[in-house]
Amino acid sequence: MDPLAAIRETFFQECEEQLAELESGLLAMEGGDRDPETINAVFRAVHSIKGGAGAFSLEALIRFAHVFETALDEMRSGRLAVTADVLKTMLRAADVLADLVRAAHDGAQGDDPRAAALADELKAMSGAAGEDDGGEEDWGDFEFKPQLVAFEAAPAPTGFLVRFKPRHDLYAKANEAALLLRELSRLGDAQVELDTEDLPPLGELDPEAAYLAWTVTLNGDTDETTIREVFEFVDGDCELEVTPIGGAPADPPAPDFDLSALLARVSDGAADDAPAGDFGAPAADGPAAEAPLADASVVELPLAANRPAPEPAAETQGLGGHRKSEAGATIRVDLERVDRLIDLVGELVINQAVLAQRVMEAGLARASAVAMGLDELEQLTREIQDSVMAIRAQPVKSVFQRMPRLVREVAAMTGKPVRLVTEGEGTEVDKTVIERLADPLTHMIRNAIDHGLESPEKRAAAGKPAEGVVRLAAMHRSGRIVIEVSDDGGGINRERVKSIAVERGLISAEAQLSDEEIDNLIFMAGFSTASEVSDISGRGVGMDVVRRSIQALGGRITINSKPGKGSTFTMSLPLTLAVLDGMVVSVEGQTLVAPITAIIETLQPKAEDVHSLGGHARVISIRGGFVPLIDVGMALGYRPEPLSATSGVALLIEGEGGARAALLVDAIQGQRQVVIKSLEANYRQVPGVAAATILGDGRVALILDIDTIVAVSRGELRKAG
Amino acid sequence: MSMTVLTVDDSRTMREMLRLALADAGFRVVQAEDGIHGLEVLQAEAPQVIVTDINMPRMDGFGFIEEVRGDPKHRAIPILVLTTESDAEKKNRARMAGATGWIVKPFNPVKLVDAIRRVAA
Amino acid sequence: MTEPKTIALADSLDMTAAGPLHRELLEVRGQAVTLDGAAVRRLGGQCLQVLLAAETAWAADGQAFEIVNPSPEFADGLALLGAGHLAPPGFAAAPFVQD
Repeated sequence: MDPLAAIRETFFQECEEQLAELESGLLAMEGGDRDPETINAVFRAVHSIKGGAGAFSLEALIRFAHVFETALDEMRSGRLAVTADVLKTMLRAADVLADLVRAAHDGAQGDDPRAAALADELKAMSGAAGEDDGGEEDWGDFEFKPQLVAFEAAPAPTGFLVRFKPRHDLYAKANEAALLLRELSRLGDAQVELDTEDLPPLGELDPEAAYLAWTVTLNGDTDETTIREVFEFVDGDCELEVTPIGGAPADPPAPDFDLSALLARVSDGAADDAPAGDFGAPAADGPAAEAPLADASVVELPLAANRPAPEPAAETQGLGGHRKSEAGATIRVDLERVDRLIDLVGELVINQAVLAQRVMEAGLARASAVAMGLDELEQLTREIQDSVMAIRAQPVKSVFQRMPRLVREVAAMTGKPVRLVTEGEGTEVDKTVIERLADPLTHMIRNAIDHGLESPEKRAAAGKPAEGVVRLAAMHRSGRIVIEVSDDGGGINRERVKSIAVERGLISAEAQLSDEEIDNLIFMAGFSTASEVSDISGRGVGMDVVRRSIQALGGRITINSKPGKGSTFTMSLPLTLAVLDGMVVSVEGQTLVAPITAIIETLQPKAEDVHSLGGHARVISIRGGFVPLIDVGMALGYRPEPLSATSGVALLIEGEGGARAALLVDAIQGQRQVVIKSLEANYRQVPGVAAATILGDGRVALILDIDTIVAVSRGELRKAG
Repeated sequence: MSMTVLTVDDSRTMREMLRLALADAGFRVVQAEDGIHGLEVLQAEAPQVIVTDINMPRMDGFGFIEEVRGDPKHRAIPILVLTTESDAEKKNRARMAGATGWIVKPFNPVKLVDAIRRVAA
Repeated sequence: MTEPKTIALADSLDMTAAGPLHRELLEVRGQAVTLDGAAVRRLGGQCLQVLLAAETAWAADGQAFEIVNPSPEFADGLALLGAGHLAPPGFAAAPFVQD
């Protein structure tokens, strides 16, 4: 037998049981039984028959059972008095129900006139007691309100911005944010942004409370109703805002959306609380010009300019206001494709430089048409390079927004009230750089609170507000990104720093150092004041690690401290890791590039400063200290015997861990920006060489891996010593 | 490993309908006839989802949901209530008790399975 | 530096796992910690809250906090919840630990 037919048989069997239950219950009530469980059982019997009938679409049975059930529910709830007359009608209704069940079992169609008459009686009874619901199941209560098609002429939105913040109840009812996000991401191309703003420090966290919020930018062919359906089960258990992006809103934002009020607002001049551009007003002057539209870097969709419909979602303005254009005008591209493009443009830049050099060598006049055309080509090439780099650029916001949490956590641990001020969150930098900023920033902010800010008592004594301020700012400056972390604390205690440096053997006690030099001591490996100062940062992680991370990104870090006023750490980083500022040097006829960020200074070694340690190992004395002198030609195997120190130039560099060394090269050619070509991708990894580049004259130049060279030479030095 | 669904319904017809729809979708089905029976089955089985009726003898759906939510071992199990009621009051009471979601009877098997997949990992 | 404490994450990081995870992390506060995510089959919002708060706490302590061997389900779950940075693919130790 087909399984559904078998269940149908089960249903009719069960109906017989329910009908018997129904009858005996009603008879017991007629005999005076007022036990609530009796009437509940009676109600359930009819309810159950209705449920099964619904599964098999037995319409006549469903209709009658529903009317009967309604009357029984009235009786159960006490709104319909249990009288002898009422019970008589109920018993007759039970008989009719039994007939209807049997008729349905036999496959009979059509209505029983007795059923219709009795249904009317039952309705009259329940109608007199409660309100008449018309006898029809109002399934519509579960559905969403029918859509108001307010702006049929408006273009459909290209996507939606969904902001969603669960409340505790959502999780308590075993709903799960992750599953809702999964459903949402199935509706289109979803970009999920996590908001941890409300997340408390670990120690104060209630593991079963709800703190996180999510903003999902959903692009694709969907509509607001479909999106809201995802959240159907959690309605009321979360905050939810759905804002259309791109086109005009096709769905009203709220059921009580008042079109006339909105139109009034529009004609009122509109710009009070909404970007004028959204209203399609000519943005020539007036409020439109100052409307808080997107960042300058964000391209407005042309679509938005003459959108006929106003933006009705005033309550979601803050959210939708500028992201709308951002998301609407965005496409997602596989990062690999962008990397490939950046690579190709790098080649183009090199090729263009090679061509320019050839033209020069050919002796063509600067004013010749070829040379002038080449100048234009150069200009264009640079613009293309900048534009391509900009594709991979992202605002630093993604890193900055993780810091407020950190500040709360460290503030709680240190007992120092702190306010974090961030500026320039929209400043863009290459994605690869952003990913590697989080750790150094975390460290510096922790340092600023722990070491920079004074205790509230000390601050009060110094006449400062108890709450310290840590400022995190990003800006673009001459082709680099500059990030500042500053505090309004006590500034660096230079006496203390200097004595620690002496104590740890980092400087000699006699060393005469400028304030700036003293401040910079905190970046030296092995320098950490932390263990004495507090418990928080004293765990072997010092500012030298921060500096190393920054240097690894081709960046520099400096400090500016004023006693009593606070300190500012300034990081300057390249906007991309695809190009490098290098010092071009010659070694045995080869051209090499040393990253400028690692170079402290260049010097001409004097014979009396160089001391041999036996073998080829040498050291050079610089301001009273000795550093290893490493012959780059030897290190890379270009020559068997070391160059005489006085016939070359030394680059004083600082490598990993703050280890200093002097790299001896034959000559310095100059400084320039070079496009980095990975050797591993094209060839294989070469010890001592980080990457390669191609210079303007077409020569391949290797970029030195300073840390490896220093490490290898140190090993040799130890053997020699 | 297939997902186990516990169905709690006093109607044999409904239990069989549910079993048919759920087994078709590849779920393993365990059944209970009312709330108290449901709690007993819960001790022996480890369902990933519970589908329960509301009107049942001995312990109704509301009581059953409250019991499950108060049980440290089982409180994280998503519970869908089956109801022919269209009235918001029943739905709200079930939600107050801790229901994860609901399915309106007569259910469409596709929607039933869909709702289960929505609330279960 | 001492060996980081290793905590094996449970297979189901649902709401009932958030409390135990929170306690477990509080117990090892102050030491470098490695969370092994190999067994994780599902991740819920509340356990993510605990992990994020712990990440911040460990960063504030200047201690290494690392999630290793994330199962594909765990990595997907983190990405889905917008927290992919907790277990970047192919990312080794946090660069902030000094030896």
